[in-house]
Amino acid sequence: MRKLFSSRAVVTMIIAFIVIVGLIAGSNWWAKRTNTPPFIQRFGNDLAGGFSRVIAVPTTAIGRTANSIGNLLNTFEENQALKAKIDEFAQDKVRLQTVEEENKELKKQLKLEATLTDYKTVSAVTISRSPTTWQSQLVINKGSKSGLKKGMPVLAGSGIIGRISEVNTTNAKVALVSDTSEDANRFAITIKGGKGDVNGIVTDFDRESNQLIMGQVTSDNEIKAGDLVETSGLGGVIPSGLYVGKVAKVTKDDYGLSKRIYIEPAADLGNITTVVVAVSEIGAQ
Amino acid sequence: MAFWQLTRLRVVFPVLLLLLLFVDGDLMSAMGAIFTAFPWHILPTLTLIWLFYAVQFDADSEVPIWLYTALIGVLFDMYYTGIFGTYTVAFLGAVAAMKQMHAYLDERLLSGMTLFLIGLLTYLVITYAAGFIIGIANVGMVSFLLYEVLPTLLLNLVIAALAYYPVWSLFQFLR
Repeated sequence: MRKLFSSRAVVTMIIAFIVIVGLIAGSNWWAKRTNTPPFIQRFGNDLAGGFSRVIAVPTTAIGRTANSIGNLLNTFEENQALKAKIDEFAQDKVRLQTVEEENKELKKQLKLEATLTDYKTVSAVTISRSPTTWQSQLVINKGSKSGLKKGMPVLAGSGIIGRISEVNTTNAKVALVSDTSEDANRFAITIKGGKGDVNGIVTDFDRESNQLIMGQVTSDNEIKAGDLVETSGLGGVIPSGLYVGKVAKVTKDDYGLSKRIYIEPAADLGNITTVVVAVSEIGAQ
Repeated sequence: MAFWQLTRLRVVFPVLLLLLLFVDGDLMSAMGAIFTAFPWHILPTLTLIWLFYAVQFDADSEVPIWLYTALIGVLFDMYYTGIFGTYTVAFLGAVAAMKQMHAYLDERLLSGMTLFLIGLLTYLVITYAAGFIIGIANVGMVSFLLYEVLPTLLLNLVIAALAYYPVWSLFQFLR
């Protein structure tokens, strides 16, 4: 019988395969375990980030122009809808300010320190986005120098888009919620149902419908499509009250024992030019 | 080094390769609204296109292609994913596939596109498989083919075809 490969080639291929799988699995494990990458990797990433910032100037300009043209087409209708909403917002804003003041006063009276709703924000600009099949990550232009830490939530537009997954000195990576690796989207959320809240965590992301999934919900509280979802603050690192999205549909799980809730994320995960990192005042300590 | 030596392929090739690595990420970020509009997931792979030109126009007599491919793969992994291995293997695999097939194809545009098609397919399939090793794959085969592979092939084949003759003459000039 004629051999397809020589036995030496087969052995080399097997060894190469084992080494590569080990490398991928090992560095994945290591990246999860450590807060900052090793010095060489950090140094290389800082250098690459600086380089990328320069190149980003013309490409971002092209991208912005393309977006503006796209936006121009539906401006008229959007403008009408937004005008209707804006009065509502003004009213809410005034109310929010009053309630915030009251909250501050009451906290002072109770001698409460920072709570889960207290957080500072650090704004950053996206300098790059990984052109990869999996692990959609953004590179933003703030790093450990600006006080960022691994695990902090990142917001864009109207809602949460992901968490910091790696911090270098002058830039950081953001793992998007659409990435199903464990540290990207497992955060504690609460659904504001009609009859009381339902707490839980995001368990998955369905890339085929572009929705977050909150699995294993056993609460009997009624939840319907359109209910608002926000972070609950349980767990400490992510402050409470960050907007996540709206309930899209509620289904039973495979065994009919618990509910699966599909959540439509509020933020647009496609077009992210600037982000805001929420630094929790108690989580950071 | 005299100035004229800077215009040699062995100098220009790695500089442009590095530049394109960052252009890929910047394009993905700047054109994100189009490239990742639900349900599409389109990847710009200018880095791979540049490596394809090196294979297609026989640059390996002047440029250490394997070394550069491995280096650019490691840099890609470090900067874009933080997980080492996946894209190093994907780039090496794609270049290996293109080099193997290069012997059977000639220098015409369509043969070149066939060669690049093979390379890009190898690249995408390796990245898809790597997702399963670390358990982050969340897209079925059909969706992957329809929403990622097809549009990615389309975009990059058009770019590779448009730049084919200009890059060919650039390579001639730099030799």
